[in-house]
Amino acid sequence: MFKWLSEFFRLAKNYIVFALLISLSFFLISTNNNVHTRGLQVLGLFTTSYLEAGVRDVIGYFTLASKNKELREENARLIDLTARIRGAMEENEQLRQMLKFREQTRSQLIPADVIGRSSEGGRYFLTLDAGSNSGVHAGDPVVTGTGLVGTVFAVNDDFSLVRTLLDGDSRIAAKLLNASADGLIVAGDYGQLAMKNVSRRYVVSPGDLVETSSLSSLVPPGIAIGMVTKSTDEPGNIFKKIDVQPAVDFTAISAAFVMEYVHPAGAANLKNERLKKRK
Amino acid sequence: MTKRLLIYVALGIAAVLVQKFLDDFASINSVSPQLVIIFVVYLALREGQLFGMSGGFLIGLLNDLLVTHFIGYTSFVGVVAGFAAGFFFKESDIELAARTLNFAWICAITLAISELAALPIIASGELDYLYVFMKFTVGTTIYTSVFAMVIVFVNGRKSHYV
Repeated sequence: MFKWLSEFFRLAKNYIVFALLISLSFFLISTNNNVHTRGLQVLGLFTTSYLEAGVRDVIGYFTLASKNKELREENARLIDLTARIRGAMEENEQLRQMLKFREQTRSQLIPADVIGRSSEGGRYFLTLDAGSNSGVHAGDPVVTGTGLVGTVFAVNDDFSLVRTLLDGDSRIAAKLLNASADGLIVAGDYGQLAMKNVSRRYVVSPGDLVETSSLSSLVPPGIAIGMVTKSTDEPGNIFKKIDVQPAVDFTAISAAFVMEYVHPAGAANLKNERLKKRK
Repeated sequence: MTKRLLIYVALGIAAVLVQKFLDDFASINSVSPQLVIIFVVYLALREGQLFGMSGGFLIGLLNDLLVTHFIGYTSFVGVVAGFAAGFFFKESDIELAARTLNFAWICAITLAISELAALPIIASGELDYLYVFMKFTVGTTIYTSVFAMVIVFVNGRKSHYV
């Protein structure tokens, strides 16, 4: 190594000395302060910064692997943080709407967190962390700040199971606000709802709002269900085919209210009494 | 070698002093013959490239301190001149290179290279680069080469073309 270096220096000594003396001359020139040196100073600055950048790149190449690992970890941490923030924002928005709903409604509301969600084979249930000990009864409507979620299907002391509107067996009487037409909300395709039993004589347009009907014996009237996205008249069918976008985002729901709702018993009793008398 | 070195030092100082005189009295439109560079070429032809470059730097620095007051400029030109002239150095043919009319040609080539190298420094801050090139690069090269020829003739040496 030393021999190679001494041989190299022997051959290149004139060039090395030349480079050193030229560099020294430039340094001396740069110490002058006149019009000729200003351009050189700028040139020197550019050259130095260029060389420095090159050296930094070379050094950076060797630390690239560890830097890459650090950045991957940082990236993973930031993705996690972003997801948390997004979740917190959505939850915050839900809670705000629920608070607003609570102020507007006269019904007794029981707050509950969604602790479970199951969707398979056309069934779509939610589990709430409030049960009969909290005052929840089977059949109670469940709502969020944006609209109706479903009804309580089963309840025990501490938990309750909610049949959502997306469940295949769910049937809720609903009303189209613009058309003043009543129908039945059932589960549709791909997370959508469908409104049935609406006559073709009604004019229904995308954007029309759907809410619970006063004809329902399960839920109080006036709770938002969703918005019409598509309405078609099929040949040979006296009813319209209406697709409804749910007001509630069932995939992101984290908290809900259970409404204490008792349908006026007198109406049902009157009907039953009249039918018995006829018999 | 020490004696020769002392002679070179003395000649170098003398060259700088004469350069001062030439700048004051022999300049044409601010262009004067570069006796200092002629001396550097002489050094490089007599002692080699390394000696020429080192001598060029030191004499140039002295010239900058005493004459031009633009520190580093003549040092730069001197180093380039010593480097360029060093390529004409032949140990077996020292007298031929340094004492014949070849010397004038070598001076001309060396000066052209060194003044061209120094052009960015001189032209920096000037608006008319062509004017600066013609005046300082071409003008100085021609004037100094003529001066080198005069020195050769005055020395009374025999012309020799390689």
